[in-house]
Amino acid sequence: MKTYEIVIGLETHIQLNTTSKIFCSCKADSWGAEPNTNICPVCSGLPGVLPVLNVETVRKGALLAAAMHAEINPVSYFDRKNYFYPDLPKGYQITQFDEPIGKGGYMDLQMPDGTSRRVRIHKLHLEEDAGKTKIEDGERLVDFNRCGVPLVEMVTEPDLRSAEEAAQYLTQLRQLLRWIGVSEADMERGHLRCDANVSIREAGSTVLNTKTEIKNVNSIDAVRLAIIEESKRQIEAVEAGQRIQSYTLDWDADTGTLRKMRSKETEADYRYFREPDLLPVVLSAEEIAEVIASLPELPIERRARFIQDYQLSAYDADILTSERSLSDYYEESVRLFGGAAKVVSNWMMNDLSRLMNDTGKSAAELRLRPIDLAEIIRMVEGGKINPATGKSLLGKVEAGGGKPAEIVEREGLGLIADEDALSGQIAAIIAESPAEVESFRAGKESLLGWFVGQVMRRTGGKADPKRTRELLLEQLKR
Amino acid sequence: MSSIRLSARQIAQKVRAGELSALNVLEDHLRQIKAVDGVPGSLQNASLDPAEEGKVHAFIEVSTGLARQQAEKVQTMVQRGEDPGPLAGVPVSIKDIFCVKGTTTTAASRILYNFRPPYTATTVERLEKAGALIIGKTNLDEFTYGSSSESSAFQPHPNNPWNTQRVTGGSSGGSAASVAAREAPLSLGTDTGGSIRQPAAFCGVVGLKPSYGRTSRYGLIAFGSSLDCPGPLARDVSDAALMLQVLAGLDPKDSTSALAPVPDYLAALQEGVRGMRIGLSRDYDHITYPDTLTGEMSVQSIQPEMNSAVRDVAEVLARLGAEIVEDVPMPNARHGIPTYFVISRVEAASNLHRFDGVKYGYRTSAPVRGLSELYRATRAEGFGLQPKLRILMGMYVSAAQHSAQYYQKALRVRSMIRSDFELAFDPQGVYRLDALLTPTTPTTAFRRSEVMGDSVLMQYSDQMTVAGNHAGIPAVSIPAGLDPLGLPIGVQFFGMDFREDLILRAAYAYEQATENADWRRAIPQALRESEVSA
Ligand SMILES: [Zn+2]
Repeated sequence: MKTYEIVIGLETHIQLNTTSKIFCSCKADSWGAEPNTNICPVCSGLPGVLPVLNVETVRKGALLAAAMHAEINPVSYFDRKNYFYPDLPKGYQITQFDEPIGKGGYMDLQMPDGTSRRVRIHKLHLEEDAGKTKIEDGERLVDFNRCGVPLVEMVTEPDLRSAEEAAQYLTQLRQLLRWIGVSEADMERGHLRCDANVSIREAGSTVLNTKTEIKNVNSIDAVRLAIIEESKRQIEAVEAGQRIQSYTLDWDADTGTLRKMRSKETEADYRYFREPDLLPVVLSAEEIAEVIASLPELPIERRARFIQDYQLSAYDADILTSERSLSDYYEESVRLFGGAAKVVSNWMMNDLSRLMNDTGKSAAELRLRPIDLAEIIRMVEGGKINPATGKSLLGKVEAGGGKPAEIVEREGLGLIADEDALSGQIAAIIAESPAEVESFRAGKESLLGWFVGQVMRRTGGKADPKRTRELLLEQLKR
Repeated sequence: MSSIRLSARQIAQKVRAGELSALNVLEDHLRQIKAVDGVPGSLQNASLDPAEEGKVHAFIEVSTGLARQQAEKVQTMVQRGEDPGPLAGVPVSIKDIFCVKGTTTTAASRILYNFRPPYTATTVERLEKAGALIIGKTNLDEFTYGSSSESSAFQPHPNNPWNTQRVTGGSSGGSAASVAAREAPLSLGTDTGGSIRQPAAFCGVVGLKPSYGRTSRYGLIAFGSSLDCPGPLARDVSDAALMLQVLAGLDPKDSTSALAPVPDYLAALQEGVRGMRIGLSRDYDHITYPDTLTGEMSVQSIQPEMNSAVRDVAEVLARLGAEIVEDVPMPNARHGIPTYFVISRVEAASNLHRFDGVKYGYRTSAPVRGLSELYRATRAEGFGLQPKLRILMGMYVSAAQHSAQYYQKALRVRSMIRSDFELAFDPQGVYRLDALLTPTTPTTAFRRSEVMGDSVLMQYSDQMTVAGNHAGIPAVSIPAGLDPLGLPIGVQFFGMDFREDLILRAAYAYEQATENADWRRAIPQALRESEVSA
C-alpha cells in the first residue's frame, strides 16, 4: 500500500459573545429558551423591517481578525446570500462576501511533540446565524431564536495534515477566542461549530484531490474521530480503485459513523449582491489602531515568555497559559511575591488548581486574589507558618475568612517565635520523660523524632520544626 | 362648507384653533369616500354593478375605527389646550405597502391578504404623532410593481378621478386618486422609479419623491431597497411641504436614513425663484424606446402638450426672475429604464424571498408533499403575474453566470446617471442648476387595459422619472395644465441631494403665479358626478 497524506481544511462558525444580536436588539444568547421566545420582527423576517448593525460585532470581528494576524479591512460590506430554507426567515442571509472584515491571516499550531505548523486563513467574515428546524411527529418545526445571532465564519486553507492537527487547531482556536474575549467558544452550546473538508493524496504530492465535507461535528474529539474515519474510508476506496466523490457527510456522534447527506457536485448559486439596507462598514485608521492596541498578548507569545522569564517547563507553561485569567493570576502573584517564580508556579500547579477544581471557579472568579496567595507563600517561606497551615489558608481565604495574616492572627496559627517559651516547653518535656532521655543518651538517637512529636503536640503544631530539633539536641546532649 | 374643500394647512389650523372638530373633518371625508369611491378592492372578483365603473376605488381598506380614535385623541388634546401637532385632524390615506398596526397590510397581493403587522412604519408613526388621521389603505400595483395600479390582486383597481376610463398611474395610484377625489387632502406614497410622481401627474396632484434617505423606509414593504422613497401626495405644493416636514429626518431603525438637517420647507416656499437657475434638457423632450422583438432602440417623440407645458412653466419662472438654462446635457437619461429593469428586479426578487407561506400570509391549501412543494404552490397561487416576472428577471440577471453582464454593469451605469446630475448641479460647474425642469410623463393618463400586460411598455412610462431614483436625488411633480381631452399634465423639478426646499420653491412660485389660470378651475369627472348625484 502507498503512503497517503491527509489534507484538511476547517470551516468554523464562531458565535460572538455580544449582548444583543447582530441586526436587532434581541438577546444574542438564547440557550435554554423556549422556541421563538427571543425574536422580533427584524430577526424573524417580517415584511418592511430593516436591519441595524450592532457595532459591537464589528469590534469583536476586527479583534479576532487582528488576533489571527489578518488585515482589518477599512471598508467592508454586507451582502445578501439568497436561498430558501424554513430556518432562514428572510430567504436570504446577511453575510460578508467579497469585502469581509478580515483578509488573510494565519495561526501557528504548537503540536505537543514540539513541532509547529502555520495554518493560513482563507476567509474571515461577519454574518448572521439562521434558525433551527427539526421534524417531530411528522411535522417540521422551526425555531427562530438563533436567527440573527452574530457569527464570524472563519475558513482555513487546506493546511492541516492530520486529525491531531485539526484537533489542536480547534483547541488553540477555542483558547484564543476566550483569551481575547470575543466568544465563550463552548462547542456543546454551538458557540464554536466546525465543518471539516477532508481529502487524501499520495505522500509527496501537491495536488488537491476531491474533498468531502463533514458536517455536524460538535466536539473536538468528534472532529478527530470523524477525520480519522473519513480518511480511512477514502484510502480504502482509492486502494480499491474507486473515485472519491464530493459528498457532504453527517457525523453521528452516538455511533461514531459518517452518513452521506447529499451529493455536492454542483455549487448552489446564492446570487450574492450588496445588502442595500446597510451602509458599508467603515473603520478609520484610528479605529483600526485602537483595535490592534487593545489586543492582549496572545497565548502562544505568553507561553514563550513564561518559559524564558520564569524558567517554567513547557508543561507548566502550557497549563499556566491555558486560560488568560489564570496566566494573569500567575504573573500578578509572582510580582507580588517578589521571590522565585518557580515557588509560585508550584503553588499554582498543585494547591491553587486543586482549589479551582474543588470550587469550580476560574482564576478570575476566585475570591482568593494574587495578593493573598503571595502573602501566604511569603509567610510559609519566611517561617511564620508551616506549609500545611499555608495550604489550609487558601481554603479559608476563599471561604470568606478575610486576609491571610488576619486569619493567622485570629486563629493563632503562627509559629512560636519566642525561643525562651519554646525552650521552656522542651525542658518540661525532658523533665517528664526520664526513661526516654536515658535511652536517647544511651545511643537510641531515633527517639529524637518522638521528642519532636511531643513538642508539636504540646504547642499545637506551632513550633518551628527546624528550631525545635536544634533546641532538643542542645538540651538532650547537655 | 364641507372640510373636503380645505387644504391640509387650513384643516390643521382650524382644528388647532378649536374652530373645527377633527371628528367632523373625518366624517366629511368618510362621506366623500362613500360618495365617490365605490366598493373597496378585494380578492373576490364578483361581477360588479356597472355604476362601479365610474367610481374611484382608491381604497382597499377604510380604517374608520382607527381614524375615529385618532380624531378623538386630537379633540381631547385641543380641549385640554395641548397642541395635537401640525397635521391636527388632517385625514391621510396610506398606500397599502406601509405596515400600520391595526390595519391589514396587503401590498395588494394575495400572498399578504391577511397580514396584520405588529408594528407601524416610521413615516406613518410620524404622521400619527403630528395629529393626522389614518383614514385608510389605498390600492396599488401588486407590491408596487407597475405604473397603472391595474395589477393589484385587489379589484377593482383605482380609476382616474378625471376620467374613470383612464388609469390613475402607479404604483401609488390609489393614493393619487384619493387626493384628487378629495377623499383625503394628503396621502403617503412610495416612489421607486416614479411611483409617486407619475400617478400624481396623471391625477393632477402634487407628488414629491424625497432624496434617498430623507424619509425612513422602516415599515415599508420593500421593492427595490436602494431606490424606494416614501413621500407625500397633496393637492398643492404647500401641503406637500407641510407633510414632508413631518416625514423627514433620521430614523435609527433605518441605517440608510440621512443625518442631514431638515430645513423649514414651508418657510422656504416664500423665498421665490428670483436668481434661481432652472435647467431644461433636450434629453427629456423625447423617449428612447426598444423594439421588443429586435431590441433596437428608437427615439420616439412624446405627447406634444408635455413639452409645451414645460416651456410654459419655464416662461412663467423666467418672468418671476429665474434664469432658464437651456440644453443641459443628460446623456445617460436614456439608460434609466434598462438599468432600472436590472437593479430593481434583483432587489425585488430577493425581497420577495421571505414570502414562502411558512410564517405569515397566504399558504396554499392544496395538499403538498414536502417543503419545496409548499413553497412552489404557495408562491404560484399567492403571487400575481408581476411579482413572478420580476422574480424570473431578477434571478436571471443576478445569476453567477450573468451578473457581470447585467447586474454589475447596471450598477456602473447607475453611477453614470448620477454623474449627469452632479455635473448639472455642480456649483462650480458650467450649468450650476438649482433645479432641472422636465415633463413628468411621456403622455397623460392612458386608457385602462391599454398598456396592461405589456410590461416593457408599462415600464417606459417611468422614463422621465426613474433617473431621480438612480441618482437618489429629490424630484417633485406638479400639475401644469390639462391636455385637449381634459387630462392633467404634470411637470417635474429634479433637485440636488437634500435640497427639497429648492424644488418646492420653484414649484410653489409657478403654482402661485398660475393660481387663477382657467385650467385650475376644472373639476375631476368623478367629483362632478358625485356632486350631481348629491
Ligand atoms: Zn430580533
